[in-house]
Amino acid sequence: MQYHKPKNNFEVTELLNTFKNDAQIFAGGTDILVEARYNKKNLKENWIDISGISGLKQIKEIKKQISIGPMVTHSEIIRNDMIKQHAPLLAEACRVIGSLQIRNRGTIGGNICNASPCADSIPALVVLDTQLVIDSSSGEQVLPISDFFIKPYMTILKPGRWLKEIRIMKMKAENKFAFLKLSRRNALAISRMNFAVILQIAWDNTIESVQFAPGSIFPIWRRVTKAEEFMLGKRISMELFQEAGKIVADSMIKESGRRWSTPYKEPVVAALTARVLAKAAGLD
Amino acid sequence: MSKIKIRINRKNYELSVEPDLLLVDLLRDQISLTGTKKGCEIGECGACTVIMNGKAVNSCLVLAVQSDGAEITTIEGVADNGDLHPIQKAFLEHDAVHCGFCTPGMVLSAINLLNHKPNPTEFEIREAIAGNLCRCTGYQQIVEAIQSVVNKTNQSSR
Repeated sequence: MQYHKPKNNFEVTELLNTFKNDAQIFAGGTDILVEARYNKKNLKENWIDISGISGLKQIKEIKKQISIGPMVTHSEIIRNDMIKQHAPLLAEACRVIGSLQIRNRGTIGGNICNASPCADSIPALVVLDTQLVIDSSSGEQVLPISDFFIKPYMTILKPGRWLKEIRIMKMKAENKFAFLKLSRRNALAISRMNFAVILQIAWDNTIESVQFAPGSIFPIWRRVTKAEEFMLGKRISMELFQEAGKIVADSMIKESGRRWSTPYKEPVVAALTARVLAKAAGLD
Repeated sequence: MSKIKIRINRKNYELSVEPDLLLVDLLRDQISLTGTKKGCEIGECGACTVIMNGKAVNSCLVLAVQSDGAEITTIEGVADNGDLHPIQKAFLEHDAVHCGFCTPGMVLSAINLLNHKPNPTEFEIREAIAGNLCRCTGYQQIVEAIQSVVNKTNQSSR
């Protein structure tokens, strides 16, 4: 294994271009070093450690968005005042990742690029209308996070390209939100499924807007627009959320077919969808 | 081989390390600080927990080259001239040590918590040690030991 520690963004792109297929970005290391112990064969020869570039560790406000560097750790996201104020949903999602030790090393950029189906930050980023900035020698490319993933553990990143910046939309102060993780135990557990939702509820208790995205339910992350549209303009109630849960479970079966796990997943997805919506709306 | 400068338990070291050497192996094999334990080696058990630049980390998930310039505290560095740290004393008093394998990591997670938050709630204590597994299942005594240090500090500051 060869270790490289570039000092700026330009050097990162240069190293990636030099080693092409045999290079990978090393961020916090909490996934790569686990992989290194089990499946050394899956790893590339050249590790490019981007932890020495201070610009990739910043959190900044840019008008309606917040820009987060890929090297920002989960702990830093949880503690950051700007995130607490404008994107508390993301802080909530990052809080359930791994353990304190993992959150102190693991990064948001790594969580996105590893593209594990159980990544806890991704459903939250999807409902926050996140844009990703990809860098390469041919310039910058900005794309919505929903276009970034091809399948679990596979993204559109080609050799020579890397994730330089994450831009999330600020939530409105009056937004309600919730994040829910299903796992075998609370700490250090890998998510079985997770759910993120942002709600805007009008004065008459009807739903003005809703963004809902689950993790580990569909082949890749996306909002469930069918369920969202169903809820729009309707008054919040447990019954409404249970109906929405059924729509989400139906969409899952439509996309993935009936599998051995479906008898378990179908009612659980429906119930947890209803639960996370109720939690956001304050009905639980 | 890369050259690194590292400060471990208030002592400076200049070392040459292979790129794939893990911090836990550097500590145990090159500096003979075997108090840091190797358990799962995939960041799940917390036995290898050390404090790096003021943060609790799993030393099995840090490359030695990445610790260049870092300040590290291992279990060997928490006692003061042979005088046990209050958390260590409390662990003994509350029978919070059973087989002892999780203890170094557990003690460091507890000390790191109190460094950042001198007055934690029980929930915060449990959250802080959630990344440290004890297979003797003596969590209750461990939580009580940490709480006793918190209470003592509060009494003496009154």
